[in-house]
Amino acid sequence: MSAADLHPPARGGFRLSDRGEQFLLGLLGTVLFLVAWEVAARSGLLNPVVVSNPSRIVAAFLGQWQSGDMLGDVRVSLIEFGVGFGLSLLVGIALGIAMGLSRLTEYAVDPFVWFLYASPLIAFYPLIIVWLGFGFTTVVAVTFLLSVVSIVVNTMAGVHSVDAQLVRAVRAFGGRRIDVIFKVVLPAAVPLILAGVRIGLGRALHGVVLGEMFSSNAGLGYRISFYAAHLRTADVFVPLVILVVVGILLNQVCRMAEARLQAWRS
Amino acid sequence: MVAETSSAGAERGVSLQTLLAHPQARLLVGLAAVLLFLIAWQIVGAGEIVRSDLISYPTEIIRTFFSMAASGELTTNAAVSLQEFVQGFVPAVLVGVAIGTGFALSRRLRAMFEPLVIALNTSPIIAFVPIVVVWFGVGLQSKSVMVFLASVIPVIINTTTGIGEVNEAWIRACRAFGARRRQVVMKAILPGALPSLMAGIRLSVGRAVVALIAAEMYVSVRGIGRLIQVYSTSDRAAEIFVLVAIVSSFGFLLVTLLRRVEDWLAPWKRDS
Repeated sequence: MSAADLHPPARGGFRLSDRGEQFLLGLLGTVLFLVAWEVAARSGLLNPVVVSNPSRIVAAFLGQWQSGDMLGDVRVSLIEFGVGFGLSLLVGIALGIAMGLSRLTEYAVDPFVWFLYASPLIAFYPLIIVWLGFGFTTVVAVTFLLSVVSIVVNTMAGVHSVDAQLVRAVRAFGGRRIDVIFKVVLPAAVPLILAGVRIGLGRALHGVVLGEMFSSNAGLGYRISFYAAHLRTADVFVPLVILVVVGILLNQVCRMAEARLQAWRS
Repeated sequence: MVAETSSAGAERGVSLQTLLAHPQARLLVGLAAVLLFLIAWQIVGAGEIVRSDLISYPTEIIRTFFSMAASGELTTNAAVSLQEFVQGFVPAVLVGVAIGTGFALSRRLRAMFEPLVIALNTSPIIAFVPIVVVWFGVGLQSKSVMVFLASVIPVIINTTTGIGEVNEAWIRACRAFGARRRQVVMKAILPGALPSLMAGIRLSVGRAVVALIAAEMYVSVRGIGRLIQVYSTSDRAAEIFVLVAIVSSFGFLLVTLLRRVEDWLAPWKRDS
């Protein structure tokens, strides 16, 4: 073991062939995992009815696709996700700017934001159901509450990162407060806001699943819980895999946007 | 006249800003805001402006805490949750450090299996609760497995990054003075990776607590999550607030404790 073995990426970065090799190895690892799973289930090492296996899951995927169940679930989850996360963006960025610009607001709101961040919100869902009823509104509320904090915190940090002299200069040349916000503060805060949005997206997805699993009769989260209760394990994996893939895609899109922005700014 | 009022306004503005610059301002304003919130809550709840079984109020919550503690239901259920947590969390840290070290040492291994870890990291872990219950039953085991799944991922990722960030000069210095492989690991690599590793462990505390409560609420026989579920069906807001406060304090205490442990293990970091 030498120092070079310890952190190869630091050594001059990856060449193109390295990237290709990495991708192939990743593919190999995933295929190996799936084959091992399939073999273990077929040979009776694992009980296929309980554990399921990749080939059954593919069959279940096709079944759900043809029956139209899948599209319906995806649509319900997507709408709940969109409304909840959209609200998060609006409220989160507005509150984050207000906290970033006014110290009084920051100090007063801070304890509540951290409480929301640190407490296991899931435990509040029974109360939210009592307050908002079963279904759509509750799912949206859980999604909103889970994702809004990271956006608030990052927007505030972004506003704090703005060069104070720049703000003073704009004010000195007669810029109004609204100009300062839209022409100086927001553009400068965008990278940090985007990082908050990426974290928030993951948490919002969490919120949708959570809300649907516990208080809904539609959507991917509900479907996971429904199939599991009926011991249809292969069917459980279909919405589960869709969620995993959506999670990865959202994350990738955000990272790409961040990279683009970074390239554009420098 | 006009000039006078405007200058008075400016003076007031300045004095507010100087007040806010005071080192204790954050604490005091925060306390005042929380206090105001609690008073408003008390008035709305105790005055039945909103049905108090739906929102409760601070003094009722405190009273409920003492009666729940006296009846013993808190301690018995908290003990079960704690056991589930420890049984999942400790193996997660050990396995996570082992896998993370493996990733850091072998580029191939990392390229092959890191995608699976990343996939698990970006997906909503709660979605695995139903299938884990099918696999491991409704008892303690399925909760420990959820805690393990939720906390192992950040530990793996942060161990790998932590070892990657170890100062190469430390390793070279150790080897130059004739250190053996084990000594290099103990004296250079582990201490260097410690901050990142501890950050991973702290991060996983929150995730593990949420996974545990979610799993207990989904289906269980005992535990804090189970209690929350029971009281929610009878619209008992006060009990739910007590339980939420307990779960939050547990996470907070554990993270504080871990910070202390880190200060103790890595005293050179405390000053910087």
